[in-house]
Amino acid sequence: MGNAALRELAVIEDVPFADLQGSVVAVDAHNWLYRYLTTTVKWTRDEIYTTSDGEEVANLVGVVQGIPRFFEHDLTPVFVFDGAVTELKDDEVQQRREKREAAEQRLEEARERGDELAVARLESRTQRLTETIVETTRELLELLDVPIVDAPAEGEAQAAVMARRGDVDYAGTEDYDALLFGAPLTLRQLTSKGDPELMVLDATLSEHDLTWEQLIDVAILCGTDFNDGVSGYGPKTSVKAIREHGDLWGVIEAEGLQIENADRIRQLFRDPPVVETPELDLDISPDVDAAREYVTETWEVDPEEVERGFDRIEESQVQTGLDRWS
Amino acid sequence: MFNAIVSADTLQATLDSVSVLVEECKIHLEEDGLEIRAVDPANVGMVDLSLSASAFESYETDGGLIGVNLSRLEDIAGMADADQLIHLELDEETRKLHIAIDGLEYTLALINPDSIRQEPDLPDLDLPAQIVLEGRDIDRAVKASDMVSDHIELGVDDTDDLFYVDAEGDTDDVHLELTAEDLIDLTAGPASSLFSLDYLKDMNKAIPSDAEVTVDLGEEFPVKLHFEIAEGQGQVTYMLAPRVQSD
Repeated sequence: MGNAALRELAVIEDVPFADLQGSVVAVDAHNWLYRYLTTTVKWTRDEIYTTSDGEEVANLVGVVQGIPRFFEHDLTPVFVFDGAVTELKDDEVQQRREKREAAEQRLEEARERGDELAVARLESRTQRLTETIVETTRELLELLDVPIVDAPAEGEAQAAVMARRGDVDYAGTEDYDALLFGAPLTLRQLTSKGDPELMVLDATLSEHDLTWEQLIDVAILCGTDFNDGVSGYGPKTSVKAIREHGDLWGVIEAEGLQIENADRIRQLFRDPPVVETPELDLDISPDVDAAREYVTETWEVDPEEVERGFDRIEESQVQTGLDRWS
Repeated sequence: MFNAIVSADTLQATLDSVSVLVEECKIHLEEDGLEIRAVDPANVGMVDLSLSASAFESYETDGGLIGVNLSRLEDIAGMADADQLIHLELDEETRKLHIAIDGLEYTLALINPDSIRQEPDLPDLDLPAQIVLEGRDIDRAVKASDMVSDHIELGVDDTDDLFYVDAEGDTDDVHLELTAEDLIDLTAGPASSLFSLDYLKDMNKAIPSDAEVTVDLGEEFPVKLHFEIAEGQGQVTYMLAPRVQSD
């Protein structure tokens, strides 16, 4: 889930949705989906999103709940999907898998005990992005006319680089790593009820008197998705060390540290595997009827569960804004 | 510097007409009165309000800008009876508003105006039709329409010289016609636009039933609703963006 130590360093402000009007955000699709999956699974009875064949498509409920916020605030989303997992991230993936297996084990136990609360909580943790979930999410987004970009590796890196290149206005992810991938402006909390948070790279760098390259080095000292940090190096110590010795190599040399794959990790943040942003059609006109049919008939989701969301999507398409006349 | 005394019902009417759209607003303290302009977060409904210094029992300021949380201020004003006086005084040092109502003293922390959403530009509207009617007629139209639908069509029939309201629901419909005789005044012109009832309902709440409301309408254009509060010493104009007409 990225680098918690970065939260301490990041300059983050609240930003009202109204200030985002008319802009484009590249959303880290997997990160976004996870959030909706966990809440949907936690708060919704499973028969609502389970087909007669036993296929679970809680993601469809999540998408219908989540998309209206973008449309209503005239914030155009571009969903960026993960490609292959970066090889260096294997450890993290492995850990997540282990955690999930442990949770599945406890889930089984909770079910036997009949502890419903624990069952709900654990179910949300064992949620994984199955092939069906990714496929149906993409198909629904296509019906809603939301542009999709396929990242060669991590969606988050692709989204951040799209923002860095100025192809979009914001990266959208919960992950603080967006700073390391060089996203100038990152929107967090896009899935929460209130206003989103805006994470600002420039302000973060000037607050700590670092360059972007140095911030990456700081993160590597603290630990990233790709390496365990150096013990004793929290965010403050790391910033101090990098400032004093100039860069990661300076610190490694001066302090006699060992960091495996340091240069490769650095390279992954500075120049991650990404593709050129394809031509994006940002004039979104969703086919709400087709989307509704897809969700409620093709995938047998209880229509009541998604009615409000589809109504909001419809409404967002018919209501004009006063700015059109000023 | 800002130091004023105002009757509770005047202050309440002022705050109510803004709070139906936004939770926080900037208040411009001008020598000749207060001015407020705000737009809702979705940029669909706007209010433009001025309250003349003569609406106050006493009013002194050398200008300024404050940011307020409307529901907090409304709650405080609500502690007073309609005919009671409310004393407002700005403490420049602490950026707090001291409010006194018959011995009850309240200190309200103000909001940094810079943290409140920017005030909108007034849309440039040249609307061909104008209807002048009583607030209670708008109330009737909105309430009846709300029973069957979530949107409402307002229009003027050019040939028959009448103002009409149409609400079409999934099963039931509401139609209301007011001829020139039923209205205070009518300037006919080509006009018909569709509006969200959610917004109109909220605006309607702030319109006194005995107010004379001037409605400016166009063809798929925003509607302008103008009325007076505080016995003519306050001017309120709402603007509401239309919905796209689907058929």
